[in-house]
This record gives sequence, C-alpha cells and structure tokens, in this order.
Amino acid sequence: MSRRPAGIAAIKNKNLAQAKYKDKGSELAESQFVQMGQQMEMFKNNLEDFAAKHREDIRKDPEFRLQFQEMCASIGVDPLASSKGFWAKMLGVGDFYYELGIQIVEVCLATSKRNGGLISIEDLRRKVEASRGRNSQQISIDDLLQSIKKLKILGNGFSVHKVGNSFLVQSIPGELTLDHTVVLQQAQEHGHVTLSGLIQTLNWEESRGKRALDFLVKECLGWVDDQSGAERSYWFPSLIPDFTTTLT
Amino acid sequence: MVDFDWPWQYKFPPFFTIQPNIETFKKQLEAWCSLVLDYQRHIKQYTLDVTEAQNSELFYNKQLNRRLSLEAIYVVLDELKRRGNLEWKDKSKKSCTLIWRTPAEWGKIIYNWICSRAMNNTVCTLFELSDGEDSEGQEFHGLDKEILIRALKSLESEGKAEFMVFDGSEGVKFF
Repeated sequence: MSRRPAGIAAIKNKNLAQAKYKDKGSELAESQFVQMGQQMEMFKNNLEDFAAKHREDIRKDPEFRLQFQEMCASIGVDPLASSKGFWAKMLGVGDFYYELGIQIVEVCLATSKRNGGLISIEDLRRKVEASRGRNSQQISIDDLLQSIKKLKILGNGFSVHKVGNSFLVQSIPGELTLDHTVVLQQAQEHGHVTLSGLIQTLNWEESRGKRALDFLVKECLGWVDDQSGAERSYWFPSLIPDFTTTLT
Repeated sequence: MVDFDWPWQYKFPPFFTIQPNIETFKKQLEAWCSLVLDYQRHIKQYTLDVTEAQNSELFYNKQLNRRLSLEAIYVVLDELKRRGNLEWKDKSKKSCTLIWRTPAEWGKIIYNWICSRAMNNTVCTLFELSDGEDSEGQEFHGLDKEILIRALKSLESEGKAEFMVFDGSEGVKFF
C-alpha cells in the first residue's frame, strides 16, 4: 500500500476540530468562572450574614471569637488583614484587635520597670482587662496572642515564648534563646533556680548554665539572692503573679 | 492602725541582696527609698536609729528570713540623704531624721488648719499643735518637735507666723 501524504481536506478538518475544542474549552472555563463568581458571591453573602447575625457573640465571647478565627483561617480568610475591609465594618473586629494591641503595648511598657520587659500572659490579661474597665468584654489568652501577632508588623519588638504550659510576652529587644526559656521554665516550676540545680536537672555544663543565668541578669530579667543558703539563687519578677490592678 | 501595704518587692527575696546589675540595682534602690519613706510615714516616725532599724520589720523580713545588710542600709540612707529626704543627727551616722515632707509643706498644712479654725492672731504652744486634743486626727499630730519648729520657722519667713519663746516654753502666733 502506498502511503499518501494527508490531503488538504484532512488538515482543514483537523484545524477546524481544534478550533472548536478551543472554543468549547474557553466556553466551559467561562461558565465555570461565572459559576465560581456566583459561589464566591454567595459565600461572601453567607459569611456576611453569619458575621452580622453573630456580631455580638463574636465581640463578646472569647470562645466564639476563637472559633470564628479558626473557621476563617481554614478557608484562607483573615478578618484582621485589613481594617478597611468589610470585616472591620461588619464586626469591628479589626478595631478590636488594634485597640487590644495598643493596650498590650501600654501594659508592657508600664510593667517593664518591674519585670524587665517580660510578662506572663496571665498577668498581661489581668492588667489589660483592668485597664479596659469593668464593663468591657472579656479578653482571652488567644485574643492576646492574635493581637501580638499583629504587633509584629511594627517590627521585632514583641515576641512570645512558650514556657511550660504558659506563655511569656517579651517586649524588649534581645534574643531569648532556647536555653534562656528553659531556665525560665525551671524557675517557673520552683520559684527560683540555682546554677547547681540547672546542672543537675538539665545535665548542663557549668559554663552553659552560667552563661544563661548571666545573660538573664544582664538583661534585667533576673535578680540574684545571696541569702538563700550556700549558693546564689536567681529569681524572676516576671514569673511572680502580679495582682495589682494599677498599671505600674 | 491600718496594716502597712508592703510593696511586692518586700516579698521578693532578692530585694534584700544588692543587685549586681546596675540597671536592676537602680530600680531596687528606688524601691527601697520609697519603702523607707512610706513605712516611716505609716508608723509616723521621724527618727530612725540604724542599729534598731536593722532588726525592725522594715529591713528584716522574718517570714522570708531575709534582711538588708548594714552596708546596704547605709547605701539606701545615703541615697535618701542625697535626695534631701534625710538628715544625719550625728557624725557617726547612728541615727537620722527622715524628711518625708519638707518643713515648708508641713508649715502649709498647719497654716491651713489654723485658718480653717479661725485661730489666726492667737497664740498656741507647740505642745497644743503637736499633741493637743484639737489637732488629733490631723496629719501633723504627733509631729517631731524639731520638724515642727522648722515648719513654723518656714511660715515665719513667709510672714504667716511668729515664733516666740516665753518663760522657757515655746509658742507661735499665726497671722
């Protein structure tokens, strides 16, 4: 059988079919796009309805606020991303966290004289609530963490350290390494730490423990006590619960 | 008497050890200075005997078993002296007068009280002022005589009072 090159007609047919596929394809894409747009619109409406309906709950109830945050996070929406978005308008949540942020900064500054710029999240919560007055809504630990996350935009002034099952909020520049937070954790458990205690419980070299303790004293976070026995002990005001309601 | 409201530092053991970090030490010294003045005001004492004070609850927290060393007490008292809140009574620095209110401030308080009772142009004895029944409940009731005299002298320099001595006792006339 002799092979013949494809005829003109066949090529034309093929081109035609390709063009048709292409048309169909874009048609499909367009309809999908329109559908998507509709879905998005619907979603947005529903979310708006939801937000409007539960506005009070979101504002008042820290538990609910946390769940709403989580829901938004799972679908990739950040209600705090912009203070001008409809979220802020709908909920005032944007404002809520910004306001909270300012109060956090205030409390941290005011208490830094006592604690050297390191405050436990519980103390922070107590003081922020006190400064907001008695009738304002409750603030949860999660609200504070959310707000502090937003404060990071302003630079590295604020960081959160997990110590044991609690958090310490650091409002002074200076890197706390893992060693330092481990020391703080030990101090939280026992009220204070000693060099030999660190060597024993953490299996540290003497120089490692000494370096960590000296750093914490140098950064004004740690105080030394020479009357607790044979060995100097180290104490941290940030870890002592502060029940005073005044800022300073 | 109402219980003295101890600051948080008083229950913080390292407060009784001079801090090696200079920044922390400054905060510590500041806290000690206000504690000494607040405490003295609370117990209405103007004189502080260093040896006695060493074992008083001010510098010795029995519950914590922590005390401020003599050396550290002098650091605090010298700082108070520098701030004008303290005067040594003797060269050997064994006792001192704490001035938690300046004589002029005391004078003003006394003068206001005199005016409120319309006792201008009358003569009172110092005893009446500091220990009389009328002045009971007033802040200057029980005021140290030395400070009282200084307060009145400061009023005198303002032309609001005249300090006088008659028959060995001292009195004052307010204008």
